[in-house]
Parts: sequence; C-alpha cells; structure tokens
Amino acid sequence: MASVTFKNVWKYYGKTPAVKDLNIECPDGSFVSILGPSGCGKSSTMRMLAGLEHISAGDILFDGERINDLPPKDRDVAMVFENYALYPHKTVLENIANPLRLRSVDDDMIKARVDAAAKLLEIDHLLDRRPHELSGGQKQRVAIGRAIVREPRLFLFDEPIAHLDAKLRAHMRGEIKHLQRTLGTTMIYVTHDQLEALSMADYIAVMHDGELQQWGTPSEIFNKPVNAWVAGFVGEPAMNFVTCDLVGHNQEVFLRHENFEIPLLPDQVGKLNGAASAGTARMGVRPDALEISLTKPHQPSITGEVFVNELLGGDMLVEVLLDGSRIRVKTVPEFDGQPGDRCHITVNREKWHIFDAMDGHAYF
Amino acid sequence: MTKISQVSVGAQDATSKLFRAREHSVEVEARPLGGDDIKPRKFNPPLPRRYYLYLLAPAIGILAFISLYPFFWLIFLSMQDVDIMGGNWVGLENYANLLTDRRFLNGWSLLLKYSAACLFLQLTIGVILAVIVNNSRYEKVLVTALLMPMMMAPAVAGLLWLFLYNGTFGWYHWIMESLGILGSASILAKADTAMAAIVMVDVWQWTPLITLIALAGLKRVPRDQLEANMVDGASPLRNFFAITLPNLYPVLVIGVLLRFMDNFRFIDHILVLTGGGPASATKILPVYLFEVAFKFFKLGRGAAIALTLLLVTIVLGKILVSVFDKPKGSRS
Repeated sequence: MASVTFKNVWKYYGKTPAVKDLNIECPDGSFVSILGPSGCGKSSTMRMLAGLEHISAGDILFDGERINDLPPKDRDVAMVFENYALYPHKTVLENIANPLRLRSVDDDMIKARVDAAAKLLEIDHLLDRRPHELSGGQKQRVAIGRAIVREPRLFLFDEPIAHLDAKLRAHMRGEIKHLQRTLGTTMIYVTHDQLEALSMADYIAVMHDGELQQWGTPSEIFNKPVNAWVAGFVGEPAMNFVTCDLVGHNQEVFLRHENFEIPLLPDQVGKLNGAASAGTARMGVRPDALEISLTKPHQPSITGEVFVNELLGGDMLVEVLLDGSRIRVKTVPEFDGQPGDRCHITVNREKWHIFDAMDGHAYF
Repeated sequence: MTKISQVSVGAQDATSKLFRAREHSVEVEARPLGGDDIKPRKFNPPLPRRYYLYLLAPAIGILAFISLYPFFWLIFLSMQDVDIMGGNWVGLENYANLLTDRRFLNGWSLLLKYSAACLFLQLTIGVILAVIVNNSRYEKVLVTALLMPMMMAPAVAGLLWLFLYNGTFGWYHWIMESLGILGSASILAKADTAMAAIVMVDVWQWTPLITLIALAGLKRVPRDQLEANMVDGASPLRNFFAITLPNLYPVLVIGVLLRFMDNFRFIDHILVLTGGGPASATKILPVYLFEVAFKFFKLGRGAAIALTLLLVTIVLGKILVSVFDKPKGSRS
C-alpha cells in the first residue's frame, strides 16, 4: 500500500506535450479514477506510473519516495491492461502465477496464492485452460488475478472493462469496487467512461488535453464542476448549455434570453463577484433539473417548442427548440407533447450553473 | 439472482459451465424460439462449375509435363543400370547397393552435421542480429546492408570465399595465421577446417534470410505482453525468453524449413571451394550424388540416391510443418 504523489509531472512525445504539469495527491488505500476522453493523457499518466514511459519532467513519489528512475520490475505495482495482455502460450494458472515465479516464490506458496486469487474471482475451474479458450469476461478476471496474486503497493487498471458487453461491465464495476475495498490497496483506475468513474472511485481526476481539470469526490465532480468542460463531460444525458445575458435590475440579477428571463437566487448573485455587468454568460443545467409542461406555470419559465421525443423506457427525453439552441429535458413517459407543440420549462435554480462566457470557469 | 440464472440455463449444461462467470450478470437467459429441428424448406442449388475443368486443363497439363513426367522418369531410371548405350532393368539392385556403400552413408552423416551446424549458427546469429536491427535507429540502412550476401549467386559467393581462404594471398587465411589460430596449412586443405569453412560460407550468405524473417516476427510480438511481463517483474533478458521467443517460434519454424531444404539442395559453393575434398571430408550427400550422376554417369544409381534424398526431405519437411501447425494450446 502506498500513497501516490505527482509533482509537476510532464510527458512529451517528441515536441507534443501529452501531460502538462500534473499535480495529484492520491491518499493511501484510496480508489482514484483518472477520467477523460481519448487523447487526454490519462494512459500516458498510467504508463509513467508503471515505468513503461520515461517521465519527461517532474517527479512521481510513492510514500514520499521518488520512483522516477526505478525500472518497472522494482516499482512493486500491478497493472491490468486494456486488452488483458495474457500470455497465450501459458495456462491460466501459469498466467496468474507469473509475477510470483518471476520473484522466485516457492511452489507451495504460489499454489496457495493462485488458488486464493482464483477463488476470489471465481475462475478456479478455469486454471487449466489457455487464454484463447476463455470468454472476454473470463480473460479479464484472469488479468485481474495476475494483478492481485501478490500484494503490490499499487494497482493500476487501464480501462480493464472497456471491451466487455454492457451487462457484464455493470456487473464488473461492482466486483472491482468490492475487490478494492476488500484488499485495501491503493488503486489508480483509468477510464473514459464517466459512469465507471462516478460509480467506483473515491476521488476522480478529470483530465482534458493533458491538463488536470478537476480533482474531487464523485459528488463534487458531478454537482460542482469547476468549468463548463467538466460539466459537459460528466453526466449522461449531457448538461444543457444556453448562452444568455446577465442583467442587473433592482438588487436582482436576471438571466435573459429570447425565450426567458429568470432571476438568480439571492446567494447566487454574490457568487458572481460583480461579473453581472460583464454581459453574456453560459447557463448550464442538467436535463433532470428541468421540468416540462404544456401549460404555462406560475414561476418564471423557458418557452420553447417540442422538437423530438425520445422514450428511454422508464424516462422520456424531450428535446426543446429555443431561439438558437436546443435543450434536453428528462420527464415522465406520459408527457404527451407532440413535435411542434409549444411548451414551458421550469428550472430547479438550486441545481443550475453559470459559467463564464470567455474561459468557461464556473461561478457556481 | 444467481439462482434464477442457474435454473434458466440448467438445461444446457456444457454452455452454462463454460460461461459460469457470466451467470451473475445475465439474469435472464434468452432462448431462441423453435428448436434445433428448424430447417429451410428448400436449399438453393450450388453454383454450376462445368467450365472449371476446361479452364484448369492447360495448367494441369503443363504442370504434369514439367514436373510429374520427370519425377516418374526418375523412378523408372532408378530401377535400371544406365550407361551411354541405354539401360537394362535391374529392379531394386541400385537401392540394395546403397545400403553397403560407405560413401553414401558417409554422405548422409556429413549432410546432417553440415545442416545442423548451419541451422544452429544461422538461427542464433540471425535472431540476435534481428533484435539489434529492430532496436536500431538505422534499421533501413542495416537491412539493405544485410541483404547484400543474399543477392549474390551461391557460386559467386563460393568464388569470393575461395579467394579469402586462399593459402597464399587470402585475407582470412592471413588473419587466422597471424593470430596463431591456424597453422600455415590452407584452410580448405585440412579435413576439419574445410567443413567449418563451407559452413561459414553458408552462414555468411543465408543468416540475413533468418534475420529478415525474425525481424518480421519481432514486429508482431505483442507489446502489451512485453509490458505486462515487465510490470510483473521480469528483467529484459527474461522478457526476451518468456515473451519474444515464444511469439517468434512460428516464423522461425518457417525459416528452419526453408534453410534445411536449401542445405539439402545448394552445393554450388561446396563444388567451387572444395569439390567434396579433402578426401571426402566435405562430400555431403548432394555432392556425392552430383559426382555419381554427372561425373561417373551412373544415372540409375544417381536416381536412386536422389530419390532417397527426396524422401528424407519430404518426411523431415512434413514433421516440421506438423510441429508448426500444432494448435497453440498444445504447446508448452
């Protein structure tokens, strides 16, 4: 077990920076997820941790000890690769035993450890098979088995369940989280799937274009995104963004658009830091913080036109046309607005966000 | 949850065992409607193929003429005692005589030694060179340079080395003598050094082929397996033997197959360098065959030797191919 610290870490491929000035502190025993779209530098970060890539600048510390110059075999980490990377010419048993064999552990010990790992992952009946005889989910369990068979200081999981089908993926999310709690070892989990990160991690590091955007617990990331990019990346269906004008009037600040004029809550006005006079801003609100109806409600609302209805089983997603933009609203399946109908949307103002129109940082 | 799935898939025992790990997530196993007995009412007729024979006939005819006809003629020849005037039928006598022919048996043992030495050196040096080239920044230049010996006609290579080995002005002879490794006797004039000398020529000319094949193999060694093994705790050397070599194995088998068949056929450089001497020390079987058939014109006896050589080549080739074809699972 170890805490992991990134100190001003940079990674360059030739002249292209892939990771820019990364500073992260992962507490001992925590489950940390690095989240970002492809090409954001998350895999480079993981490979630097494992010792597979040279660290161009900065330091990585395990328990305060600099590990930049250690070769992979001396870092005492265990890694699960995206495509499992099992050894095709070895049996499942030998695949799992490999890290122990390389450390010259004696045979009785190896057998005991492999059996324990296999039982935990429910692959004890597969030990004589070879990787090509396994299904995707089984291969993935073997790959995890190879990681947990010894007690490393750190687990590195590089999108390990990205190639599984949706149902098995949902199942494995719970399994991996449970496994990490059971073993108590620090885990760094790289993923592009925000749902995986939100559901499993203790802390999430959101990365974009090689830069750390936000570090926080899943609920902080989801409820208090620091900028419009994080807000748009996390959450499914994605957050709605509408560019509006901020207008001050009689101690109150209004958000004005061709289709609506809604006042901010009093405590939200303070958070704007006087930016109200700046004019435009981006309002962001998640589809489930909106309510739609065909009759005009009493509170201030957004008026629009139903563009399309998508029934998602238990919910319905309604896309509403405003002047110059569209917003999506999550509602009940019984909503019977037809495309072209005039409709009214009320906003849960506790849950909306105002982002700067220029650099996208969040006021609240 | 688990119970429901076990009940629903209980009927298909084999599959439920195979996918045990999935039982937890797939809670309701869907089964197709109907059963195994559904079939289409009528099958479409296969595509007509009546032109195939006519289209293939010329090719088959030419092939039969240039390859099958000489082959059967060779078998026919091996059953006769042939000289300039013609042949008379002797049945299997040519074959029976071979069993007591000391030069024939000596030819086999020399051929096997020669072939084994060549293969061992070419594989070892070839793979090491491939690894070096693969990790080099100047890969393209190196590959071009390595290809040069292969582009040379074997007889020309033999002549080139004849000069290098020459006892009066040969460069290699001079180096060896200066270093005190060899005495003043010519390299090709002593029995043990002559064999080493022809092995050396073959290694010089054909190691690049193994290097090229191994280089192609190295390109497809899965990087993630190498990396996984490194993270598991392997040193670079162990990584090479644990991951790179097993992945290289299939292409190396092809290399061995090509090279061992060449060793059984190519004698150009031997004829140029030693002609089988000194005192039959390098008279490997193909050289002996050449001597019998085209120097002494014992065509019947030569045909018999050629057929045994062919038979052994085919059998060894088959064994190698079957090793290569073995499914991945049964290899350790």
